[in-house]
Amino acid sequence: MMYWISVVTESGIFAILALGLDMVWGWAGDFDLAFYGYLALGSYMTMVLTIGKPIPPTEYILGLTLPYPLAIAVADVLVVALAAIIGAVALRNLREIYFAVTTLGAVSALYLVVEVYTPLFDGYNGLFGLINPGQSALNLTYNGYRQVFMVIVLVILAVTYLVVQRLSKSPFGRMLRAVREDERAAAAYGRGIFFAKYRAYLFGAALAGLAGGLFAAYISAFNPSAWTPQELLVIYAAILVGGRGNPRGVIVGVFVVYIGFIELTRYLPSPASRPEFAPALRQVLIGLLIILMLRFRPAGIFPEHTGAGRVGRAPAPDPLEQSGVGASS
Amino acid sequence: MTGEILCIENLSKSFGGVTAVRDCTFSVRQGMVLGLIGPNGAGKSTVVDLVSGFGRPDAGQITFEGRQITGKRPDTIARLGLIRTFQTPREWRQLTVLQNVLVARCAYSSEALLRTIVRGRRIRRDELADQAMAMDILDRYQLSALRDVKAGDLSGGQKRLLEFARIAAADPRLVILDEPMGGVNPVLGTRIGEAVRQFVDDGHTVIVVEHNLPFIERICDEVVVMDSGEVIAQGPFDGLRDNPRVVDAYLGMDQSHE
Repeated sequence: MMYWISVVTESGIFAILALGLDMVWGWAGDFDLAFYGYLALGSYMTMVLTIGKPIPPTEYILGLTLPYPLAIAVADVLVVALAAIIGAVALRNLREIYFAVTTLGAVSALYLVVEVYTPLFDGYNGLFGLINPGQSALNLTYNGYRQVFMVIVLVILAVTYLVVQRLSKSPFGRMLRAVREDERAAAAYGRGIFFAKYRAYLFGAALAGLAGGLFAAYISAFNPSAWTPQELLVIYAAILVGGRGNPRGVIVGVFVVYIGFIELTRYLPSPASRPEFAPALRQVLIGLLIILMLRFRPAGIFPEHTGAGRVGRAPAPDPLEQSGVGASS
Repeated sequence: MTGEILCIENLSKSFGGVTAVRDCTFSVRQGMVLGLIGPNGAGKSTVVDLVSGFGRPDAGQITFEGRQITGKRPDTIARLGLIRTFQTPREWRQLTVLQNVLVARCAYSSEALLRTIVRGRRIRRDELADQAMAMDILDRYQLSALRDVKAGDLSGGQKRLLEFARIAAADPRLVILDEPMGGVNPVLGTRIGEAVRQFVDDGHTVIVVEHNLPFIERICDEVVVMDSGEVIAQGPFDGLRDNPRVVDAYLGMDQSHE
């Protein structure tokens, strides 16, 4: 039971992250590889704002003891500030593979700085000690707290979903898809391309920072091994499976991939002599899932709605084709 | 000068060592259809790019409704009321036909991110009015039955009509059509000619870049002829037949248009 509470909590946190990433990749069309860095910075900052002064030889910045929700808010502001810098460089003129490589460079630099420069977040050892913030104030047992925390995460996910879904179906979401489909045409109709993408990027990063703050309390410790590049690829796989550009699909995709593939593969038989067999098979299965989805249902479980403007009437036969007007070129 | 919606003065642009546009000067009066013609490589498309902000001129000035727009960004120029098309239709493929027209409607204030979150209901109400308007426009271009079809699935001719529907939705002061007759059959060609005249009747000014000379003759009040990056003539189409530079540069090369 506690195991499933943990799995659902983790999936809920990653679903919030994936909703943010989908705005950047699904709606605006930018394949961002820096995104997990925003979750990481959100986690680190939430830690150093809540866990108090470092005890030597441990070292890290700040070491405050702010209330946990306030710490998440402050951390998220910093995450958005970092995204504002990376986005300002990467989104201005770079697209597709050039954008992806630039964001990969940015997150690699961040990773190296965090790992090597120990006074920041204690380097490779990382931070720990954010254990069940508010447990005593709420007068809960350890297990009771984990259940309440799961509910809090799911409530935040629900609110995030409602906001993102409203944006997705709004003129804003539609405009962003137009920018994705053809930038030059969008510019010719008065859209500032950079500003449109930038707004979505900062909003997405804010969701990643929020997910990071929740993640910090979920695992109570954070170090560089928690945000290796593979983690982000699983999120991308989840978006692809659920339906790129569709918030409902993204959430379903995260739960399918995390619960269906990562957790259920624990029950696969693993020869005692080869303990690495099950984790390796998990990677293979996710790869297989991506290939099968791309082959048989490339738009995902729930295909995208491209923003406001669907009235829902079935299209009638094409009058132009009948009159011969449409049969040109 | 009164009545001039667009003035281009001494415009020049080079790419590397190639001069695409040289010292180009002409103006467009309010409410007219101006044809911009010339052989391939004459610099027509470059002029369109420079005027619409998709390229920066090396020298010269562009004035739109008395305002300097030289070197401004394309979206800024579009917001002033100058909409251009491209040689190939550039529809937003994954968006439906109706959504294409709604995006072209340019209701920028409804696209504010925070306002969408806190004032979503208000935006949805505005959106309904815009949808009614968009449906009227789709009716006019015989696209209303296709409104929920993805624009990328339309035929070539339907994409051309969608481009006109998008312009009608944007309601610009000046529209520049870059080769609207490319790959278009005669029936649709008549339809496009009517659409251009309709724009003028609705108070728009139109510039048409086109190789199809009978089409230009039929719909344009005046023609600017370019060759090797320079304007070599401007005036009514009929007067150009006797202009030796024009005949030499363009008409003489391809009599089959006549």
